[in-house]
Amino acid sequence: MNTTLFMREVRSSYKLWLIFIAILAMYISVIISMFDPKLGETLDLFAKAMPEMMSLFGMGETGATLIEFLSNYLYGMLMIVFPMVFIIMLANRLVVAHVDSGSMTYLLASPNTRRKVAFTQMFVLLSMTFVLLVICVGIAIGVSQAMFPGALIIGDFLLLNLGLACLLFALCGYCFFISCISNETGRAVMFGAGIPTFFYLVQMLANMGGKLADLKYATIFTLFNPKAIIAGDTSAWWMCGALVVIGAIFFVVGIARFEKRDLPL
Amino acid sequence: MIKINHLTKDYGQQRGIFDLTFDVQRGEVFGFLGPNGAGKTTTIRHLMGFIHPNAGNCSINGLDCGTHSAEIQRNLGYVPGEIALPDDMTGLEFLHFVADYRGVTDWARVEQLMARFELDARGNLKRMSKGMKQKIGIVCAFMHNPQVLILDEPTSGLDPLMQNHFIDLVLEEKAKGKTILMSSHIFEEVERTADRVGIIRDGHLVTVDSVTALKAAQRKRYTVSFASEKEAQSFSQESLTIDLLKGKEVTVTVNNFQPFVEAMSRYTITNIVAVEQSLEEIFMHYYGK
Repeated sequence: MNTTLFMREVRSSYKLWLIFIAILAMYISVIISMFDPKLGETLDLFAKAMPEMMSLFGMGETGATLIEFLSNYLYGMLMIVFPMVFIIMLANRLVVAHVDSGSMTYLLASPNTRRKVAFTQMFVLLSMTFVLLVICVGIAIGVSQAMFPGALIIGDFLLLNLGLACLLFALCGYCFFISCISNETGRAVMFGAGIPTFFYLVQMLANMGGKLADLKYATIFTLFNPKAIIAGDTSAWWMCGALVVIGAIFFVVGIARFEKRDLPL
Repeated sequence: MIKINHLTKDYGQQRGIFDLTFDVQRGEVFGFLGPNGAGKTTTIRHLMGFIHPNAGNCSINGLDCGTHSAEIQRNLGYVPGEIALPDDMTGLEFLHFVADYRGVTDWARVEQLMARFELDARGNLKRMSKGMKQKIGIVCAFMHNPQVLILDEPTSGLDPLMQNHFIDLVLEEKAKGKTILMSSHIFEEVERTADRVGIIRDGHLVTVDSVTALKAAQRKRYTVSFASEKEAQSFSQESLTIDLLKGKEVTVTVNNFQPFVEAMSRYTITNIVAVEQSLEEIFMHYYGK
C-alpha cells in the first residue's frame, strides 16, 4: 500500500464521507427517538392496516424491543441504502474516474505497480466504509443509551452490524470490480449503481411476501438477514460468510483484471 | 536504452502501429516524428506499460515494458501528450503529492525546475492555463532526475521563450548521458535536440535517419517581398528555382545561396520569410531524391 496515495484519496473524499455520516446520524437519532413500546403498538396497527406498504420497506413487523425496532426501521433500508450509495460513489472515484480523466497516468508513471495502486484504492474504500459504519454504530449506541438507558442489547446490536459489515463488504467488492474493469465513468455508474439498485428493488418486492417472496432467491440482499442474526440463527452467519466470499472474489478478480488490461491513458 | 522490437498493436481499420522496430541509445535524443494520429502516442503507451502489444515487444534498460513497468518507472520521466491533472488541488500540492508518492526527497530540484520555467504553482490546477499545466507536467517528469525520458509533444502549450528553456534542459540532460525519446509533429521542434529522427505515418515507421541527413534533404524555401510588382516580376525571370509569383511576393526554392543572394542584391527588398515545411513535405522530398 502507498500511504501518500491513501492519504490523498481520503483527503479528496472526506467531505462526501462526512455528508453521509451526517445524514445517517440524523436518521439514526430520529428513528431511535421514535422508539416507544407504546408507539410500537401504533405502528403495528399501521402494519395491519396496510401490510404491503410497510413490508415494502422491510418494516413488516415492528417488534417490541429496541433492537427489533432498529433492525426493522434502520437495517431494513436506511443503513443499507445510504452506505450503498456512498460505496458506489467512492468506488467510482477511486479507479474508473482516474482512468477516465487520465489522472491515472500520474499514479502509474511511478515506481508503484498497478497492483499496489489498486490495493491502496481498495483499502481506501474499505476503511472509509467501515469507519463510517463504526461511527454510525457508535452514534446508535450513544443515542439509545441516552434516550432509553439499558434498552439496547449491545452484544446483539454489534452482531447485527457485523452482519451488515459483511453485506457492505460484498457491495464494496462488486462496485470496486466494476470500477476496475471500466474505462468510462458513465458505464461504471450504470453497472456499479444499476445492479445493486435492481437487487434492492427485487428485495423490496420479495419483502411483500406471497408469490413474490420467492424473489428473495434472486437478490444478494437476502444473505443479510437481521431477524435471523438477532435470533442467533447459525444459518444467518453462513449467509454472511457467503457475502464475504462474494466480496473477496470480486476484489481479487477486479484487481487482477486491472493489472493485466490495456488502459486508455 | 530503449528498444522497440517488431511492436504491433492493431486497432482495426488500419489504425494502430505495425511492426515498429527502432532503438534509442544512452546519451541520445531520438526525435519521434509523425502527423497527428500516426501512432506516436500508441507507441509511447506501450513503453509506459499502459497497453500491451499484439505482437513484438519493447524494453527499457533490458526490462520488458509490459511486465516490469514499475521497476522501469523508478528511473523514467514521462511528459504525457495530454496532461490530465486532478482538479481539487493546487499546483504546489500536486507537486508535493507526486514527489512523496514517488519517494522523491530532493525538493531543491523541484524548486530549481519551477524557477527555470518561471512556474508559480500556487494556484488551483483547475484554473491553470494549458501552458501552466504543461510546466507542471514537465517538472513532474524531471523531478526525480530519471535516466530515461519519454516526452510526448512536451512543448505544446509553451510560449517560444519557455520552449527554448525546455530545449536547453533537454540538451543538458542529454549531455549527462540520459536516454531521451521525444515525439513531435513538427520537425523544427526536435531538430535542435535530436541526433536521430524516426518518422512514423499511418502506424508504419517510414524512416529512421540522422537529423543532419534530413536537414540536408530539407528544401529551403523563402518568400521574398519586393517594393513593387514590377520588381517582383523581373526577379522571377532570374535563373533561380521560382515556385510562385504572387503580387509583390516571390517564393523561391534555394539550393545554392550565392546566386540567390546576388540576385536579391539588385532589387529593393522589403521582407524575407522562410517558408516552414510540413513534415510531409520534408519526407516527400527526402524520398523524392
